Amino acid sequence: MTTTTTAHTSSTINAFADGRQPLVEMRDISIAFGGIKAVDHASLELYKGEVVALLGHNGAGKSTLIKILSGAYQRDHGDIYIRGEKASIDNPRDAKRYGIETIYQTLALADNVDAAANLFLGRELRTAWGTLDDVAMEAATREVMGRLNPNFRRFKEPVKKLSGGQRQSVAIARAIHFNANILIMDEPTAALGPQETQQVADLTLELKKQGIGIFLISHDIHDVFDLADRVAVMKNGRIVGTARVEDVSKDEVLGMIILGKCPPGAIPGPGALSS
Amino acid sequence: MLKATVAALTGALLLGAAVPALAKDKTIAVSWKTFQEERWKTDEAAIKAAVTAAGNKYVSTDAQGSAEKQAKDIEGLITQKVDVIVIVAYDSDAILPSIKAARDAGIKTMAYDVQFEDPSALYITFDNIGVGRLMAKEVQKVKPAGNYAFIKGDKGDPNATFLFKGIMEVLGDAIKAGKIKNSCETFTDGWKPDNAQKNMEQCLTSTGNKIDAVVSENDGMASGVVAALKAQGMDGSVAVSGQDGDLAAINRVALGTQTVSIWKDATQLGKKAGELANMIADGTAIDKLPGVTKFNLGKKGVEMNSILLEPTTITKDTLDVAIKAGHITKEKACAGVKAGSVKACG
Amino acid sequence: MTQSTETRSEPALAQEGVVTRFLRATEIDTRLLGMVGALILISVCFHFAGILRTGNGVFLSPRNLWILLVQTSSIAVMTTGMVLIIVMRHIDLSVGSLLGVIAVIMGYAQVYVLGPWLGVGHPAIWIITILIGLSAGALLGGFHGYLIAYAGIPSFIVTLGGLIVWRGAAWAIIRGETVAPMDETFELLGGGPLDASIKATGSWILGIIVCVVIVLALYFGRKSRQKFNFPLRPMWAETFLGIVGCGITLGTVLLVNSYYFPPKLANEYAERYNIPIPEDGFLLSKGFAIPVLIAAAAAIVMTFVATRTRFGRYVYAIGGNPEAAELAGINTKRITLIMFSIMGVLAAISACISSARLNAASNALGQFDELYVIAATVIGGTSLAGGVGTIYGAILGALVMQSLQSGMTLLNFDSAYKDMAVGSVLVFAVWLDQIYRRRAN
Repeated sequence: MTTTTTAHTSSTINAFADGRQPLVEMRDISIAFGGIKAVDHASLELYKGEVVALLGHNGAGKSTLIKILSGAYQRDHGDIYIRGEKASIDNPRDAKRYGIETIYQTLALADNVDAAANLFLGRELRTAWGTLDDVAMEAATREVMGRLNPNFRRFKEPVKKLSGGQRQSVAIARAIHFNANILIMDEPTAALGPQETQQVADLTLELKKQGIGIFLISHDIHDVFDLADRVAVMKNGRIVGTARVEDVSKDEVLGMIILGKCPPGAIPGPGALSS
Repeated sequence: MLKATVAALTGALLLGAAVPALAKDKTIAVSWKTFQEERWKTDEAAIKAAVTAAGNKYVSTDAQGSAEKQAKDIEGLITQKVDVIVIVAYDSDAILPSIKAARDAGIKTMAYDVQFEDPSALYITFDNIGVGRLMAKEVQKVKPAGNYAFIKGDKGDPNATFLFKGIMEVLGDAIKAGKIKNSCETFTDGWKPDNAQKNMEQCLTSTGNKIDAVVSENDGMASGVVAALKAQGMDGSVAVSGQDGDLAAINRVALGTQTVSIWKDATQLGKKAGELANMIADGTAIDKLPGVTKFNLGKKGVEMNSILLEPTTITKDTLDVAIKAGHITKEKACAGVKAGSVKACG
Repeated sequence: MTQSTETRSEPALAQEGVVTRFLRATEIDTRLLGMVGALILISVCFHFAGILRTGNGVFLSPRNLWILLVQTSSIAVMTTGMVLIIVMRHIDLSVGSLLGVIAVIMGYAQVYVLGPWLGVGHPAIWIITILIGLSAGALLGGFHGYLIAYAGIPSFIVTLGGLIVWRGAAWAIIRGETVAPMDETFELLGGGPLDASIKATGSWILGIIVCVVIVLALYFGRKSRQKFNFPLRPMWAETFLGIVGCGITLGTVLLVNSYYFPPKLANEYAERYNIPIPEDGFLLSKGFAIPVLIAAAAAIVMTFVATRTRFGRYVYAIGGNPEAAELAGINTKRITLIMFSIMGVLAAISACISSARLNAASNALGQFDELYVIAATVIGGTSLAGGVGTIYGAILGALVMQSLQSGMTLLNFDSAYKDMAVGSVLVFAVWLDQIYRRRAN
């Protein structure tokens, strides 16, 4: 039953497939914390220039699944393929080597240091002497921040003094500066006002145009429905189903999220209500 | 084996009731509080030597740092009907019921080094106030007049005040007469040498180096004092006291940078205790022992018969005492000493 | 009060006070200014209290200030590491005991092993001794770090255990005996002997070198910012910083050079190096003492590590947000292990200074130092919540504490009052810091 569904998903229905190779393919991923299955045999793929919204309640397993991809958690079971090749991702550094960048819900910024230090955290530029090249890092930060948030001036201050939107742009700058080809955005607009949310939306579309594959994680369907090409819904650690946005209505997706009921336009996953 | 000995002893005692006591074949027991500390080995060797030399038998128990174990140890010794029990009390209050039990069984007790307050027992120790007096005396001999600095021990330790009392008994008059000036006086946190060094540096700074003698209450602090004096080129010309007989301090005495170290020789204390135990076992009443005095400076002020030993004064002239006693090798004591400058070093 | 909230709004910017504008242009840390102010205030108070009490103030005399620097050096060396440990949200309670056990190991090695083996006074003794000490420090500190990072035991517990264990080990190695004397060259590290300071000429040369470095650093800093078209400090602010930096350096040289050896030692020195003694007496300046130079070097190296290397950047990032650091791919466990190992090395350096200064090693050496080190670090503005702290602040904190203690000793205060004063200052300083932070945010 499961196997047939998987085969079905990856070959026929997805318009983005076109016989192309998926950018990311997560196959049969499981992880348990103290006996509780946070992710239970979940499979999901992402194509170049595609935005996939990963939806579900808090605790449905979306953030956990995505943290496995970004190297923050190590899976108990399953494989990850990047451009068709089996990838070994055991820590965040491995993920970054594969061009996977993540903007976490918490932003994951070191509050006590400035924007440049955060942008290059773990990947600092160094001078010929092996010391930190702060000037070069500041220059690069000014350049990338100039594109994202032209009014930003507070390069010398610790990021805890910045506003929510400014902090968000630092986190995004970090993800895009290193030429990501797979971008994970975990609740990117949770802490933002309407104007800033719009900025993030514009940016998402811009990045999509550049051919970057994007996972957009949200518990609120309204935030992401217009941006996404495809939705995937999780419940109790399992994939309820995936669907192209044009094939399903918002209410149907809500039904997937709340009840786990898979509408006709979607491809059911192992978590679908079996009625 | 032990049982046989005890039986024989019991027999001897029964006989002894009729015949006058002999100096032979008595049993002297020592109840040690712990053998974890190195120093008690020295004491034990001395006591054992004195006891066996008189033809008596030495037995011992180790309480391993537990008051309960010590009570049981003494109970066992009473059952064995030993003649005298020498006790290094782990807890000077908790030991009292055991002392009473021994007294009831007609066994004499001695408090060794650590006092417990029972009037029936003999208390043998070094004269601690005397240590202060001796330090002051030796320093005063070298510098009868001038500016004195007093580097006292930790303010929380009663011994520091105790020592200072002895020091002032000697120097008080000279200070009143204006011959000696108390230029600096300070407690030293934790008796720490490095704190003593800092205090001495501050003392020298505030007096513009006008210091003639330093009464330091132990050898460790004296090392800090000498280091501070050395930085001002004053080491050797200022009199410095100390106590404990630290090996490094004895070497300083030989080098002339420290005037005196008062040494409480454990061998001396052990030997004396062994000899006294022999006499008590032979039936000498405790208050009739040679050199016995009354002592009532304990916590509760109980008056006890006591023997207070005068500690050894180690100066340049008496250096050989420590070497001969095997406390320090000549090599260590005389390290760096110019040939011919100290008699004991040759 | 209300005024200060209003200054945030736009029109107030125009009427921004001279002081604020000055601080912004020079980028001087206002907290640093506060610390320096406190230090000056304490010194002046003690000086005048001395005048009132005994008729002559000695606190501000070159001699006292010189000794003050030497007395602070051992604690100062350890604060440079403690800052980073606390920044990382850890604590090290074992530094005093580490100092003790390492001093005892080095003392034992010199007196009982190397001395008899190579012959007392052999020129290799001090080098081997220091190497033994530093490796012991790295090893013991690294062991603590391993238990904290890889075995997951809280640093408070590991180092509390270390505090007890290493003090016991120090006693066990030498059975409570004091080991003395130290090797003669080794003793120079303590600043006591004649050759343990670099005299007037050496101090001037060093001072001038430091001045040149300050000016060059300002120049190249400005040039590289110019290259990227970054906003620059106004020229007057650069000049001001240069003048103040050089002024402080040369002023310190002047200070340490105006403390002279006592005539007896000066003459001894003259004799040793065949310097003719002038008729009106030979004046020999002390100059910078070796332990003070060691402390300064430790401060410079650790500041460099903290601000100019990846390692230092990671230490701060971990302190600011450990989870973010982990997600950024930083190997936080390794950084923790290395940091505790560095702390061990610094404790070993302090052990060299302390035992050399005392010219003896005893198992009590360094007892309670952990408290003074942590207190100095916190007084210097390091937040126990982690993420925030500077090395220069911690060193100033150490100076403040030592000034209080030495000033009160000079006035013949009982040590009970010294303890009370130092404890109160610790709490007071942290309280002021809290107020400052609340205002700043």
